[in-house]
Amino acid sequence: MITAPALRLAGDILAQFRHLPDDQAVDTVANHIRMFWDPRMRAQLLELATSAGADCDPLVSRVVTSLGD
Amino acid sequence: MITVYVPCDSAALSIGADEVAMAIECEAALLGLEIDLVRNGTRGMLWLEPLVEVATPAGRIGYGPVRPEAVADLIAAGLLDGADHELNLGVVDELPWMRDQQRLCLARVGITDPLSPEDYVANGGNAGLRRALSMPPADVIAEVTESGLRGRGGAGFPAGIKWKTVADTEDDLKFVCCNADEGDSGTFADRIVMEGDPFSLLEGMTIAGYAVGASEGYIYLRSEYPDAAATTGQAIETAREQGWLGDDVLGSGFKFDIHLRLGGGAYICGEETSMLESLEGKRGMVRAKPPIPAITGLFGRPTVVNNVLTLTSVGAILADGGQGYAALGLDRSRGTQVFQLAGNIKHGGVFESAFGISLEKLVNEYGGGTLSGRPLRTVQVGGPLGQYIPADGLDIPTDYEAFAAAGAMLGHGGIVVFDDTVNMASMARFAMEFCVAESCGKCTPCRVGSVRGVETIDKIVAGVDRDRNLTLLNDLCDLMVDGSLCAMGGLTPNPVRSALQHFPEDFSTLEAGQ
Amino acid sequence: MTLYADHDLGTPAPAQDAPPLTLEIDGVSVTVPQGTSVMRAAALAGIDVPKLCATDSLDAFGSCRLCLVEVEGGRGTPASCTTPCADGMKVNTRTDKVDKLRQSVMELYLSDHPTDCQTCSPTGGCELQDLATTVGLPDMRYGLEGINHLNLPVDDSNPYFTFDPTSCISCSRCVRACGEIQGTFALTIEGRGFDSKVSASAGETFLESECVSCGACVAACPTSALQENSVIELGLPTRTVKTTCAYCGVGCSFNAELQGDELIRMVPDKTGGANEGHACVKGRFAYGYASHEDRQLNPMIRERITDDWQVVDWDTAINYVAQKMKTIQTEHGVGAIGGITSSRTTNEEVYVVQKMVRAAFGNNNVDTCARVCHSPTGYGLKQTFGESAGTQDFRSVAKADAIVVIGANPTDGHPVFASRMKRRLREGAQLVVIDPRRIDLVRSPHIEAAYHLPLAPGTNVAMVNALAHVVVTEGLVDRAFVDARCEDFDGWAEFISSPEHSPEVAQEVTGVPAEDIRAAARLYATAENGAIYYGLGVTEHSQGSTMVMGMANLAMATGNIGREGVGVNPLRGQNNVQGSCDMGSFPHELPGYRHVSDDAVREVFEKLWGTRITPTPGLRIPNMFDSALDGSFRGLYVQGEDIAQSDPNTSHVYASLKSLDLLVVQDLFLNETAQLAHVFLPGTSFLEKDGTFTNAERRINRVRPVMAPATGKHEWQIPCDIAQAMGYDMSYDDPSQIMDEIATLTPTFKGVSFARLDALGSVQWPCNDEAPEGTPTMHVEDFTRGKGRFMVTTFVPTTERATRKFPLILTTGRILSQYNVGAQTRRTPNVMWHAEDILEIHASDAEMRGIHDGDEVTITSRTGETVLRAVISDRMPPGVVYTTFHYPLSGANVVTTDNSDWATNCPEYKVTAVQVTVGTGLHDTDVELAARAAR
Repeated sequence: MITAPALRLAGDILAQFRHLPDDQAVDTVANHIRMFWDPRMRAQLLELATSAGADCDPLVSRVVTSLGD
Repeated sequence: MITVYVPCDSAALSIGADEVAMAIECEAALLGLEIDLVRNGTRGMLWLEPLVEVATPAGRIGYGPVRPEAVADLIAAGLLDGADHELNLGVVDELPWMRDQQRLCLARVGITDPLSPEDYVANGGNAGLRRALSMPPADVIAEVTESGLRGRGGAGFPAGIKWKTVADTEDDLKFVCCNADEGDSGTFADRIVMEGDPFSLLEGMTIAGYAVGASEGYIYLRSEYPDAAATTGQAIETAREQGWLGDDVLGSGFKFDIHLRLGGGAYICGEETSMLESLEGKRGMVRAKPPIPAITGLFGRPTVVNNVLTLTSVGAILADGGQGYAALGLDRSRGTQVFQLAGNIKHGGVFESAFGISLEKLVNEYGGGTLSGRPLRTVQVGGPLGQYIPADGLDIPTDYEAFAAAGAMLGHGGIVVFDDTVNMASMARFAMEFCVAESCGKCTPCRVGSVRGVETIDKIVAGVDRDRNLTLLNDLCDLMVDGSLCAMGGLTPNPVRSALQHFPEDFSTLEAGQ
Repeated sequence: MTLYADHDLGTPAPAQDAPPLTLEIDGVSVTVPQGTSVMRAAALAGIDVPKLCATDSLDAFGSCRLCLVEVEGGRGTPASCTTPCADGMKVNTRTDKVDKLRQSVMELYLSDHPTDCQTCSPTGGCELQDLATTVGLPDMRYGLEGINHLNLPVDDSNPYFTFDPTSCISCSRCVRACGEIQGTFALTIEGRGFDSKVSASAGETFLESECVSCGACVAACPTSALQENSVIELGLPTRTVKTTCAYCGVGCSFNAELQGDELIRMVPDKTGGANEGHACVKGRFAYGYASHEDRQLNPMIRERITDDWQVVDWDTAINYVAQKMKTIQTEHGVGAIGGITSSRTTNEEVYVVQKMVRAAFGNNNVDTCARVCHSPTGYGLKQTFGESAGTQDFRSVAKADAIVVIGANPTDGHPVFASRMKRRLREGAQLVVIDPRRIDLVRSPHIEAAYHLPLAPGTNVAMVNALAHVVVTEGLVDRAFVDARCEDFDGWAEFISSPEHSPEVAQEVTGVPAEDIRAAARLYATAENGAIYYGLGVTEHSQGSTMVMGMANLAMATGNIGREGVGVNPLRGQNNVQGSCDMGSFPHELPGYRHVSDDAVREVFEKLWGTRITPTPGLRIPNMFDSALDGSFRGLYVQGEDIAQSDPNTSHVYASLKSLDLLVVQDLFLNETAQLAHVFLPGTSFLEKDGTFTNAERRINRVRPVMAPATGKHEWQIPCDIAQAMGYDMSYDDPSQIMDEIATLTPTFKGVSFARLDALGSVQWPCNDEAPEGTPTMHVEDFTRGKGRFMVTTFVPTTERATRKFPLILTTGRILSQYNVGAQTRRTPNVMWHAEDILEIHASDAEMRGIHDGDEVTITSRTGETVLRAVISDRMPPGVVYTTFHYPLSGANVVTTDNSDWATNCPEYKVTAVQVTVGTGLHDTDVELAARAAR
């Protein structure tokens, strides 16, 4: 019963920074994830974002790209 | 139209004043006479109540005491014209009792309709307040100080000094509290003022509020005075309507309001700090002093606590000036005192006189001696905690210091007379019993001491270890005087010791517990 | 009366800044601050005036009349307790007159007192008895045949103390303590005069009354009228050890009083910085769990969780854990194991667990139970102020003029602090309560909140934004403070000024009238000193971190930071939440809140620890559960936390824990988590610990061993032994060495040592060269991060909302007599006050569902269902139900969801959409089966 906490959480974090310009929001979220997430959560995020493909929030996709995992 | 006066004072009511009033109205109606029936306060001659007066060109003619069933006869006999009758007392103001008084606190009591603002103003009401409001507050205090007015509640503390302390204590909220918990036996002057001229109390409180910078006043009234409560409560309403209270007192911009609070029947709530506790909604327990209420009073704010008569005197002082007031009385007892004659006395009532009149004159001349006609044995002045003064010691001037020198106290001016049937050991025991019943229970000398006092007096009277127990009683009295938290315990030895001193023979005759 | 040698000065100290004056007492010259009583001045000069009704924790009362003195030139014999000193005054405390008066008072007391001094329990501890000797025992001339109180019935209803009115001397110390110190006003004097007697509420027994059993009355009683049952049964203690309570985050100091190794009573310490002599029912009385028969004293292992436990020796257990952990790492990688630290253990015990994980396990998979309570506090205050801690000391509340309590219930959760707060409120400070539930503070004796804003659960951020909107748009910003001390204000001000944050819009979201929001904002912003206190009602939300930042914004905008009486103050749940966070329990931070990615910081640790530290964050608790389910995480060491009961979405937690290869539980009891464990390592109670706790005000208090570890091993030794067995050299001779290591590695702890703590009593970190005695108030000149930073706080509503299927919102909280998951308090007589968790429901919600008071009801959420007894309560607004989580059977967390705070993963305990139905339709869920199997 694996839910998708990584992707959901990334969306939750992003929601806090929607007021920022996109680039800044992406940087802020990526930085938050770098600071607080275990590598395997990041891996899970990558996997989930990839499999979600176009269904993934475009900014979350950009965050994933920016993390460069 | 003929004006007829029938008192609404509760002393008069208790012996049928309402029935008398109704009877007069009925009889007048039957006769087709239009009368103006005014319910005034009492003139203070309680043995004459119900005292009916009728206004005549010669003055107000009095009839009394009038029983309801006698009204028809009286009317028929020409009461409405001031006609002669065996109950006709003549012009009331010219009766010696009235003529010999100096009525300042009682100036309007018995004269006016207590709740008529027009009567009040027409008879000099608000003159003091108007003058006060035209002066700087500090000058009002100076005037009161100059008058020499001392607290009439019993302790006799100079009112001006108390007010100045409150005025000098900075706070954004201050209070004026009127102690109307008149619980001393043989006292009823506060009640008579509140039932007979309540506006004068409100006026005095408002002057006090203005002088010290207070915005709220509280009257703490004992619940045993339902008529006084109703009258005072109505007077407060009327005063608000008249603009005598409220946001703009008499158009001066000064803001002051008064609230009436009823006590719950505890004698100790007449002690000022207990009264404050009770006003705060708490159990009536004595507070230790210091801090004094003038600095830390109601709800911890600077508070004037004065008795009804003190505050009532203020209006007269401000109206006529402090100097005139100070000219009355003697030494450090200035102005007038409203004496209350009670107990086994022929002519009971209130008698306002400048300080200095002798106790003997009050009791025997105006009071007429005992009601029973038996020899007078003793007089207790100042309430249940006052000393017993033997019949041969009455020739002392009514003056705080003179009384103190005679081993007595003036207190609130209540004078209770006993004839020769009184047993003084039982009176001493009663003093301790009274303390048992009324102690707030806070301090040990009063809470436990009073109980042991009763038991020890019983042992003395029963002849058990008499000398040892007399010593013990004396030690206990020392402790109560020196160690009690307030005057309740501190004064209880007064009646005990004076009874022992003047009437030792009574302490070997009474059976224990009697 | 306590064993602890306390010189009672009779009356409280006046303001310390009062001007001095000098007087002479019995020929001794004394200089004291103005406002000092003659009694206190005399005591300071070494002259103890006899007294019974006076004690320096209560205002002078003046009732016993034993302390009478004579003042030269003064009248009469004033009571020294109520007489203030005056300059040049000459006082005589011993004259023939006052000596005789005192004897007369004593004679009265003894005429109505039992004559059983020889057998009465407090022999050696009775002030009346002592004084009878001091003032001279009178010859009892009244005899004993007078009327008296010697036949009054004893009230033994309270499980911890007994009231024997025959010994009562009506001094009112108990009544005054109940009011002045505790603020409950449960006790009163009934009757007048000689009939005066102490009474609980309206003539009820103590247990039935509103008494909260804090014990302040017992401590205040000068005789044996109010006495601990333990003293009655066992006699007076013979030795005392000063230590720290292990319940909530207030961190009260106590003197544990013992006979030999038997604990007789816990007496709160007057010098304790947090509590200053006060305590609550838990700290003072509920210590019996430490010697409860359920306590496990031996290590145990088992291969499978269905096997029976095998008792083993310590070496076997330690080696078993070490080998298993190593095997898992060999087979599944270094990151396949981890540990969880406990907020109930000492700093030293936490430190060694995180060190074991980082150094011996070689990863950062360490987290703490603070994850599920105050992790948003750490994040939010660090982002805005630069330090993950509350800004004030508790004493500060005495200078607050407007107090805002948000999502906290201090009278139940933090009772000793609540008493301080209530005292200030009685003095006239104004109160705003922001909470869905009408907590006691909203209206209790002599206290009434100016505004109660009963917002819908989950709308905190909308509320705080609306409050800030009022501050900014109504010109209430402290511009001077903001300009000088803060940054990023303009952007934030623009954001917050937007009409979408107005109270009128917030009213739609929160359900609170806009005018109340506006009035509350004005009250806070215009007060001389405005202080915010908050609890888990702030943090345990999906926007917990946002809300913490929102409160920080509000405090900065109004200049309410950096002095006494103000601040943003988390009320920490457990005794050492602050400490466990300070000690590097979070997977991304080393001790002192320094990020693992910081090379310079890591280097310091690596050098001292002689090992490499991973520079990336490790797993958080919820990640551990998720990773357990996906097979990448297989070994977990849990120190003193019952995650199976306390973490949300129980079925998810059970499934995760059951999939582990090795679950090690270190605890006092076989708790719910231990039912799923392979190894059980017995822990030590606070009475056996040697170390420090750090309370909610950053105060580091010493925990001193009252007795030797019942398990044969100090708890701090266990992780060291495991690390050692895993091949990493880690050992200490003494816990003080652990603190020394912490001080070496952590700038904010640089000045901390056991020696300094023993000397000063306690210190509040930062404690270093700049602040050698600690820091009561933070951010005084500058913020820790330099400028205070305004953070934009967008309100993102939770996805958990009421629906047709789940139309009610369940929120959770605490009750006074119980603590957390109840492992301790359920094993004490505290159950007499709260024997089960109950569901509070509004009358209209109940009626709609046919629920009557006391019915059993089923609560269903999208994650599970549980059964509770319903109580109809007007504390709840319609649409919101409430329960506590002190009992495992009630399984409040069976229904909570796995929503969590966006920044920290702190679970959203406070918002769960549920349906409530009458009756017990409970199905056999996995959880229930597991729980049943375990029992």
